[in-house]
Amino acid sequence: MAEPAYTVASDTETTGEEKTSSPFPEIAIGIDIGTSQCSIAFWNGSEVELIKNTRNQKVMRSYVTFKDEVPAGGVSTQLSHEHEMLSGAAIFNMKRLIGRVDTDPVVHASKSLPFLVQTVDIGVRPFIAALVNNAWRSTTPEEVLAIFLVELRAMAETQLKRPIRNVVLTIPVSFSRFQLTRIERACAMAGLHVLRLMPEPTAVALLYAQQQQQSVHENLGSGSEKIAVIFNMGAGYCDVTVSATAGGVSQIKALSGSAIGGEDLLQNMMRHLMPNSESLFSSYGMNEIKSMALLRVATQDAIHKLSSETSVQINVDLGNGLKVSKNVTREEFEEVNQKVFEKCGSLITQCLHDAKVEIEDLNDVILVGGCSYIPKVRNLVQSTCKKVELYEGINPLEAAVSGAALEGAVTSGINDPFGNLDLLTIQVTPLGIGIRANGNNFVPIIPRNTTMPARKDLVFTTVRDNQSEALIIVYEGEGEKVEENHLLGYFKITGIPPSPKGVPEINVCMDIDASSVLRVLVGVIMPGNPHPVIPVMEVRLPTVDDGHGWCAEALNRAYGSTLDLETVQPKKM
Amino acid sequence: MSHGIVSPAAQSNFLNHSKSSIPIASSMLAEASSCLSFNPHLPKLSFSLKTQSGSLRRGPIKASAQSLSAATESFYDLLGIPQSVTPREIKQAYKHLVLKYHPDVSPPERIDENTKRFIRLQEAYETLSDPNTRALYDNHLATGSFIAFSSRKPSRYKEGLDDYGTWRIRWQSQLTELKRRSMNKDSRDHMSWGSRIRRRHRSKTTADDIDRNSTIKV
Repeated sequence: MAEPAYTVASDTETTGEEKTSSPFPEIAIGIDIGTSQCSIAFWNGSEVELIKNTRNQKVMRSYVTFKDEVPAGGVSTQLSHEHEMLSGAAIFNMKRLIGRVDTDPVVHASKSLPFLVQTVDIGVRPFIAALVNNAWRSTTPEEVLAIFLVELRAMAETQLKRPIRNVVLTIPVSFSRFQLTRIERACAMAGLHVLRLMPEPTAVALLYAQQQQQSVHENLGSGSEKIAVIFNMGAGYCDVTVSATAGGVSQIKALSGSAIGGEDLLQNMMRHLMPNSESLFSSYGMNEIKSMALLRVATQDAIHKLSSETSVQINVDLGNGLKVSKNVTREEFEEVNQKVFEKCGSLITQCLHDAKVEIEDLNDVILVGGCSYIPKVRNLVQSTCKKVELYEGINPLEAAVSGAALEGAVTSGINDPFGNLDLLTIQVTPLGIGIRANGNNFVPIIPRNTTMPARKDLVFTTVRDNQSEALIIVYEGEGEKVEENHLLGYFKITGIPPSPKGVPEINVCMDIDASSVLRVLVGVIMPGNPHPVIPVMEVRLPTVDDGHGWCAEALNRAYGSTLDLETVQPKKM
Repeated sequence: MSHGIVSPAAQSNFLNHSKSSIPIASSMLAEASSCLSFNPHLPKLSFSLKTQSGSLRRGPIKASAQSLSAATESFYDLLGIPQSVTPREIKQAYKHLVLKYHPDVSPPERIDENTKRFIRLQEAYETLSDPNTRALYDNHLATGSFIAFSSRKPSRYKEGLDDYGTWRIRWQSQLTELKRRSMNKDSRDHMSWGSRIRRRHRSKTTADDIDRNSTIKV
């Protein structure tokens, strides 16, 4: 029997060092691992091409089936029937779970999936398992992603007849830097080297920039700067960007994103069809899993039909005497999901606001992702952007992976004689990065939507007399309170000379370099002495490990506010 | 061969002797700053803060009078435009330079240098592309305090630009210190052999004092 194509050395092994090595001459390929679908594309010398599997599919399902000894992914195998998903052996939606702790609402929402997602609710990683021969076999999101990354890689290697190592991956805007380390981990497990991690809508923006550049070459476009809104909604995430494009340069003005997507539409609809479904299925017996999966498949079919029809009849026998028989209208579907759609609209509004762009200045509105076929999504994007026409000429399901493949070619230093690769994306930070200060508040040092690479700093001071130590706790996110943000790491500053509170100046500098590596530098300055009194600390982040959710709470229990910092208040004039 | 002035065992010593070590540090820094000031507006930085890149430790540090004189370079100089330009021309100049200095389009050996330049370009562009901050900057330029100017969020939380200069200079010296220490990659020392020698020459008595008290052996 063939060896499994992937090997897992150790889940705790760090892979950070690999990222910084210089680009290899080979052309990096683009990969889009979606919550429900994945695809792979490469620059073939004149254009981007998606690689098809043996069944001639360019876009494949993102799931892994655990059977017998060797797990098989959706790239190489096909479910003999959609209902094979009912057995509890198929694991999917891992992009929604990767790098999340078991107190995360997104993890709790995943308990309605037809396999085991178990939580103990203390901030450790959730327990995920597939039902194999009537036993729960545990796995991790990283392992599942690695399995289909291996299959994608094998498929590309067979067709391109060369080894594949370097990849550009698309990622959701709302992913924390900790989640990115988990994606890199999955890639390392699959023997892939991550050249770039690109927020999905920025990959689409790059594709758009190339199209604009080509139309200039063909004297079709004006060549002047074009402002575009890109709205990308898939099964797991909804992301928005505003970009300014001119001369092949795509400047990202702002990003916004959230973990909402088709999966939420589906779950709300399942609850609507069967209000007590969650309690019915909570026991995870064989029959419950089957019922849960039957309801899921039927609901998904209904949602698909509602994109073209105004009402649909659902008749499904869930077994155990449970039946759903209901006529559902498109209005009902939209009403049940009103909050999700409102959130989508607010992401666009926020992104436009952050980009300081007026709706009248928009040249194009681009709608991509699996949810772009839903009429309500189209309407809300059109009405929020006050545009009747949406941009044509971009395939909604292939846009992100094509952009990633373009970035792969550009980053690998490939030249195109026709100038089709004279492209550049100027990225911004999707989330703010800062530290805990002023009590339990998050004080950003690099705000979100800061152009990268970046370096910013801020001065803090002690809160107690003779405070000799300070705890630097680094978070990423947008919440005002620290607990609403992602913990990235923590360290102590020691040896602050005895002095009244408010006197020492603790300078915290954050640096994001060209490879998007984050470093935090902290130095202590005392009045009357222009030089640092203790060695400057330099820490590369994130430093937290899996299951870090309880760390902040534990720190708080251990130290209370004794090692706090606060921002330096403006002096009274 | 590691003799750290702040090695764990010597840490308390270091703190006790922090007073006596100040003159040494200052003389070191005075020497270092003349070639190593971390000013974001310098056009050419001959070092890198990245401990990872290795360029800092391997490459010789070039002291250049040029970088000192260029510390007076304004945002307009950075973008290569006169102060009278229109917003449109500012954008054009910026886009032109971005294509030259963005790390993604830089050859590998110039990435560190160009990253620094790009960050300064970005700061210049963000300042000058907003009419309000541009007016403020022009005002600073007229009064000669522009070096301390920054378009970004004020470093003191929710505070104006007034107090920015002083702490910025201090912070720069901190970074200078960090860089100087980072140069010594192979030992856990925070000071290279060469700098220890120089130090001895400069202030023999205090250096000896440190030697006795904090396990430094030359």
